Amino acid sequence: MAQIELLDVNKTYAVGNNVVKAVDGVTLEIEKGEFISIVGHSGSGKTTLLSIIGGILSPSTGRVVVDNTDIYALDEDRLSEYRALKIGCIFQFSSLLPVLTAKENLLLPTVFRPEKGNGFEKKAVEHLALVGLEDKIDAHPSQLSGGQQRRVAIARAFMNDPDIIIADEPTGDLDEETEAEVMELFKGINRQRGITFILVTHSSELAKDATRRLRMTRGRIQEL
Amino acid sequence: MKFSLLSLALKNLKRKSFRTAVLITSIGLLVSILVFGTSFLLTISSSIKRSTDRLGADLLVVPVGARDFAEEVLLETKAKNFYMDKSIIEKVGKIEGIEKLTYQTYLTTIYGLCCDIPAVKVVAFNQETDFIIKPWLERAIGRKLGKGEVIIGAEAAENFELLDVDRSTLFGMKFNMAGVLEKTGTGLDNALFVSDENIGEIIERGKSGLRPDQISLIFTKVKKGLDPYAVGRSVEGEILEVDVIARSDMGKKIISTLKDINGIFLLTIVLACLLSTFLAWTIFSAIVNERLREVGIMRAIGAKGSHIVKMFIIEVFTIGLIGSLSGVMFGNYLSLTLSRVFGLLRDVAGTLTLMERVEVSLLGLAVGTGICIIGALSSIIRIKRLEPLMALKEG
Ligand SMILES: Nc1ncnc2c1ncn2[C@@H]1O[C@H](COP(=O)(O)OP(=O)(O)OP(=O)(O)O)[C@@H](O)[C@H]1O
Ligand SMILES: [Mg+2]
Repeated sequence: MAQIELLDVNKTYAVGNNVVKAVDGVTLEIEKGEFISIVGHSGSGKTTLLSIIGGILSPSTGRVVVDNTDIYALDEDRLSEYRALKIGCIFQFSSLLPVLTAKENLLLPTVFRPEKGNGFEKKAVEHLALVGLEDKIDAHPSQLSGGQQRRVAIARAFMNDPDIIIADEPTGDLDEETEAEVMELFKGINRQRGITFILVTHSSELAKDATRRLRMTRGRIQEL
Repeated sequence: MKFSLLSLALKNLKRKSFRTAVLITSIGLLVSILVFGTSFLLTISSSIKRSTDRLGADLLVVPVGARDFAEEVLLETKAKNFYMDKSIIEKVGKIEGIEKLTYQTYLTTIYGLCCDIPAVKVVAFNQETDFIIKPWLERAIGRKLGKGEVIIGAEAAENFELLDVDRSTLFGMKFNMAGVLEKTGTGLDNALFVSDENIGEIIERGKSGLRPDQISLIFTKVKKGLDPYAVGRSVEGEILEVDVIARSDMGKKIISTLKDINGIFLLTIVLACLLSTFLAWTIFSAIVNERLREVGIMRAIGAKGSHIVKMFIIEVFTIGLIGSLSGVMFGNYLSLTLSRVFGLLRDVAGTLTLMERVEVSLLGLAVGTGICIIGALSSIIRIKRLEPLMALKEG
């Protein structure tokens, strides 16, 4: 049984009288530990599909089964727990809370864990060091560059030890060197811990590193 | 401090510190109006009730036309004189249904006459028949007043502290101070009491303007089981020179005026609360909406609807609580100081008990925080229902 199964997933948006088909009949199986890259033109439905897998956008039709659970059949709170514990989310856009410092932004997802744990402070500091921000622990997002903010968001995604990382152009604002470092980090974590990565990217260079490559075209998916 | 939703909420408040301060002040002002207004209403109603309850008589017989004067003297602190002939006592006593009666004569000292005792109400009461002063007198000195003795009302006593009472005179007569009465919460707290055995001598000295055989009013008790109103009507019917006030009528005019004031106050308070709820609603929905994106992010990384609600409720509750607390303090301060400034409040003797103050304060707290939470609730509920990605994009 695959870790993630998408069964004929559709997502349509109503815009005025028109209907936009953002995701069109996607059926897909993803095994645990896969490193998947998705490329596609702007507006082809990549963010929409990723959001559906991440439990933050319900599909119009179709089912998303993760570890044998139809996640959109779960109640609100169980779905929130799925997001908190199974998924690590790295967004295309800036996603830090402005009132919180870098470290506090990392601690935020741990607050949402159903069971409280310990040692998160230490873990947050370690994670920030992993993305090269050990000297920015107490900085607020407004005091960080775009690329630094992005790295904080990346570090945050790993705080609750997720099984699956969904990353929407995670290296968008990063220079080539940092981009390469982040990719190395991802691949290392993928190998060591068997975390599944689903990565959207515009760069076919990065896409090459994946164990499996997909392309989206007008809501439809195809293997490369 | 360990990082938690509480710290996030407090940081959110701090980020918009000016707005937070304005909100707290507004809630504070509203609650202070509420606390002050309610204290005002309670003071007045309870003081009226106390005054009438403590009079101990069912019917008051006063000279025709003196009804309002009598109420002012008994319920407020005014000093006014009104008289009728002593022969009326006998006539009232003969009326069917009157069980017992006693009478009093009111005099006012004239400023400057008697060794600078300021104008004060003096009540000469008949000790043989008295049942009005008696319970208080017993508590104060445990015996009857002798001739040439005076006992002083609780509030009047405060004014006399500075005087050398032993050397002062009343109407040119020397009196010994027998003691001070406990507070009754009526206008009588501001009077001096003497036995009516002294009246002869007071008249002889000629410094009071009082003529022989004058009394001010008669207190009566009605026989058990009889309707005081019916008895009162027959007193008025048979004796043309008098008006009768039934105990439940006591202070009716003042009460109805005060009731109107109460009504206006209450209306103002209710309108202010409604207005504040609407304002809170607009302001908090604006606050919630500008945070849509943040809520979307929090939900996307695992926050439950209840986490979002909790965060906003902490923020709103903090504003409401701090605002209400300062409002409670300010409102109580107002009601304590203004009661000394406004004549109306000074005249109706009596203040709130500690318990009543606590209750009013709790009411203020509940309304102040309640308004904030109710105002914010609809927006909070709407926002927590949004799909995370939609909230993210809308923001
Ligand atoms: N909330 C929405 N309402 C209406 N249409 C939407 C909405 N969100 C997305 N769409 C449409 O759905 C389609 C897919 O959008 P999506 O964001 O998934 O594209 P994408 O592949 O991530 O693009 P990009 O590479 O630019 O990020 C687009 O045509 C977009 O216009
Ligand atoms: Mg996208």
